[in-house]
Amino acid sequence: MTGELQLGFIPLVDAAPLIVAQARGLFAAEGLSVALSREGSWATIRDKVAAGALDGAHMLSPMVFAASLGIGSETRAMIAPIALNRGGAAVTLSTRLAGDEPPGAQLARLARRRQEEGASPLTLAVVYPFSIHNYLLRTWLVRLGVDPDRDVRLTVAPPSRTADLLAEGVIEGFCAGAPWNAVAEAAGVGRTVVHVEEVLPDAPDKVLGVTEYWAAANPQILAGLVRALEAAGRWCAGLENRQALTDLLARPEHVGAPPQAIADSLDQIVFAGAGLARPRPDHALWILDQLARWGQGEAADAAKAAGRIYRPDLYDQALSAG
Amino acid sequence: MCSDLKVVYEPGSARAALGAEGLAGVDPLEVRQAAQFVEAEAADFRPDVIVVASESPDRDTLESLREASAANPRPVVMFVDRSEPGLADEAVRAGVAAYVVDGLSTGRVRPILEVAMSRFHLMHQLRADLAKAKADLASRKTVERAKALLMKERGLDEEAAYRLLRKLSMDSGRPLGAVAADLLAFAGVLKGGEGS
Repeated sequence: MTGELQLGFIPLVDAAPLIVAQARGLFAAEGLSVALSREGSWATIRDKVAAGALDGAHMLSPMVFAASLGIGSETRAMIAPIALNRGGAAVTLSTRLAGDEPPGAQLARLARRRQEEGASPLTLAVVYPFSIHNYLLRTWLVRLGVDPDRDVRLTVAPPSRTADLLAEGVIEGFCAGAPWNAVAEAAGVGRTVVHVEEVLPDAPDKVLGVTEYWAAANPQILAGLVRALEAAGRWCAGLENRQALTDLLARPEHVGAPPQAIADSLDQIVFAGAGLARPRPDHALWILDQLARWGQGEAADAAKAAGRIYRPDLYDQALSAG
Repeated sequence: MCSDLKVVYEPGSARAALGAEGLAGVDPLEVRQAAQFVEAEAADFRPDVIVVASESPDRDTLESLREASAANPRPVVMFVDRSEPGLADEAVRAGVAAYVVDGLSTGRVRPILEVAMSRFHLMHQLRADLAKAKADLASRKTVERAKALLMKERGLDEEAAYRLLRKLSMDSGRPLGAVAADLLAFAGVLKGGEGS
């Protein structure tokens, strides 16, 4: 192969498979020379992968679909050949809204009262519009009888800043990935009231995203990446590796969060087992359904888009060749 | 157009200096440096342009504000590192109004901001025009269908059907498209067999 592969990630616990594959030499074992690039925003990850400044990246599963369908950006065909994790996303509310009552009851009441009084709506943050975090928060709000588009104001905030925004009262709650819910709890500014598996059990979270063009041009490299990440996911899932994984992720060049918050979050995240890494066609259809349900956009032919974007075939090829 | 310029940007070593120097001479100029983008502050300050670094976590927030029609959108100019090939062009395609490459001469900063602002307002206008054109087209189709319905149900010719719609519109003081849409909706209900 020519030169070093550039892979991007966002400082989140579920970037672990990339970080572990690099640190433990799993990429090298596949003959791949990789440089990891810590990025500040999903938009920059998307743009860099689209432009080829990154060969691939840690991506939110719905983001791969949005980019491929030209929702929220120019159309750039991207694919997901491997899923990285499940779980870890959660809703955290400001402590004053997370009392003893059933989770969300106080929030729903306050949202309604503010509307009746014509006051400014409660502000809640998600990490990115095309994320299961957005879908989790919206679905949960609907179950509480709160209309996510009318009764509250949803905004986008960088996960690393959510605890501060809660403390400052800029937002009343947020839905983000690990370790940021645990960080807000540890800071005493928020309480996690609902985890993704309680509302959207089995929802696919992060994937490896590459452009369709790059995947077609580099089939061997892609297969090596998939094998390395699959092996890394299995290592991350091993309880005996928990301490080493926590220490590795806590480093400033990786997630850069307190080790305790990371250790607490690891209980929520599934990295391997039961076909987790293999991109599931029903997950692809579910994501397309969510994009449509929340008015973000629609594929002309959902089944076709699902098959083109989620690629279990490439996953199978990679692992059978290993 | 660059007189009375209000800029928000993230302080960042060389970038802040480049920005400040590049804008020297613009008068009046209000520059606010914000370590992070705070929506409420921005709404208060009403900047003409927002300058952000490509590695900033605030990009996702700014991009979502651009999508939200309720918010007050502002042109965003992004600082891009030389070591990020292609990122600048992609960012522009994704909605960043313009970009500044690190190491750019200070003399270019002001024209880039000006281009970014005019480009942004042009795009904004185009988008509004497109939305209006789409709405007009939809309305025209509705009127056509309502006319066809009147011709069929009342045995009117096209001219008379149109006059009737116009009269309904004028009597109720509502747009033709809205009256036509009501008519079609009611026709759907009445088809259920509710007297006539």
